[in-house]
Amino acid sequence: MRSTRLTALLAVFLLAIASLVVAGCGSSDDDTTGGGGGGGGSEPLTVGSDIPYPPFEQGKAGEYTGFDIELMEAIGEKIGRTAEFQDTSFETIFRDVAQGKFEAVISAATITEEREEAVDFSNPYYLSEQAVLVKEGSDIKSLEEIDGQTVAVQQGTTGQELAKEELGDSEIRPFPEGPDAVNALKAGTVEAVIIDAPVAQNAVEKSGSVEIAEKVPTEEEYGIAVAQGETELLDEINKGLEEVLNDGTYKTIYEKWFKLEPPQEIFNASHEAE
Amino acid sequence: MSEFFNQYFDFDYMGEHFWEVLEAFLQNLLIFAVVAVLALTWGLILALLRQLPGKKFLPVRFLAIAYIDVFRAIPILIVILLISGGIPFLDFIPKEIRIPHWFGKPDPFWYGVAALMLVYGAFSAEVYRAGIEAVPRGQMEAARSLGMSHGQAMRNVVVPQAISIIPAPMLNEMISLLKDSTLVSVIAFAESVLISRELLAQSFNSSALILTGFFFILIILPLARVVDKLIARNQGKITRGSHIEVA
Repeated sequence: MRSTRLTALLAVFLLAIASLVVAGCGSSDDDTTGGGGGGGGSEPLTVGSDIPYPPFEQGKAGEYTGFDIELMEAIGEKIGRTAEFQDTSFETIFRDVAQGKFEAVISAATITEEREEAVDFSNPYYLSEQAVLVKEGSDIKSLEEIDGQTVAVQQGTTGQELAKEELGDSEIRPFPEGPDAVNALKAGTVEAVIIDAPVAQNAVEKSGSVEIAEKVPTEEEYGIAVAQGETELLDEINKGLEEVLNDGTYKTIYEKWFKLEPPQEIFNASHEAE
Repeated sequence: MSEFFNQYFDFDYMGEHFWEVLEAFLQNLLIFAVVAVLALTWGLILALLRQLPGKKFLPVRFLAIAYIDVFRAIPILIVILLISGGIPFLDFIPKEIRIPHWFGKPDPFWYGVAALMLVYGAFSAEVYRAGIEAVPRGQMEAARSLGMSHGQAMRNVVVPQAISIIPAPMLNEMISLLKDSTLVSVIAFAESVLISRELLAQSFNSSALILTGFFFILIILPLARVVDKLIARNQGKITRGSHIEVA
């Protein structure tokens, strides 16, 4: 009896140690994504991103891809630092960069005054719209028509702000991850999802049975965030971004992920860090 | 260091949002209460099915064991996501059941309740079983030899004795259940963790999460002491050589 118990205890220990070893091996290449040369001997650039948020960021650990990821890798190449990505949660992402958990954030993040109190933003690298995503054949044709119905959004995003402002009579359900919000729409537990237009577009293409009822311009600009006072890094990122915009790399990446030409405004958009 | 305290232990911030977080925490207690009743009942049914004697009931025993094994093994988060994402698609079920809004509670509440009940039913079935098996075989044999059926013997002899053994381990399960009620936040039900993270997204301050933690401690610590008391009481019975013997 005693020896069986000991054997069982030993087995549990072995399992725990095995998990540690496996997890340890995994994590050593987990949070790094090859930036494709350029890095040389200099420090890698650690970048936080809330993955998945297709088509901006998606893929498995070590093989992250998407518009943001490729753009950041291109910028990294220009400034001679290999971008290394860390998957993190969007609600805490600005706090984490401010605390130095990583050096920069690229995560389809809209530049807002509120966020600028916590971090500094680069020049805009993307101009965004929100989309009202509904089930195929739904009667809802515009944002106003959703009022009073149940709406899904992603927690902490501009879509949630928009829903709060425009839809006073609706029940708003904030999902921690965007794909779960789209799933709730397909399942019929919510009538609409308000989410970034490219994400909505991606859902229409990949998942089917949903459609975009309306796109709502929000004058949103996405920026890369760094901790406040990191002026040197911010200047470098801005310089890298400008080069990427001017030499056609931006256009190539944009068309690859959005199947559209980039808007002209992005080429002369600028932003002053406050 | 002070950054850490401002981020997590901002007591002014906790004060400002006290009622908001408390109200959300009451939702956790509500999930807990509903699931506790359902899971304790469901678990007892499973445990009794598992104990049915004879060849005739072999398939029932097999199904009960398979159910318990499967639901103890799947992470609860997966069960929650599967139920909330899957049940609504089963269009042979009437809409009022597929997408329930009973008693003014939204569907994510009920999906969460269902998922936690399925999982905790399996866990509590194991606790009941441990209790039933701790009752000496002779009790069942004696009852049967007096002419009772298996069901009668269970109801009148075995289960009443088992019931006095299980409260301590069962309370432990219930403590886990209360904590796991926060998992329902992934399907956007407004309980305390979701509301705390909502506040975090607005203000970049995590103190609401700590406040939520305090509420849980406040409820769970006394329960843990009750568990200790119950264990001590059972120990006493055994050492005094009462009818309960634990192998």
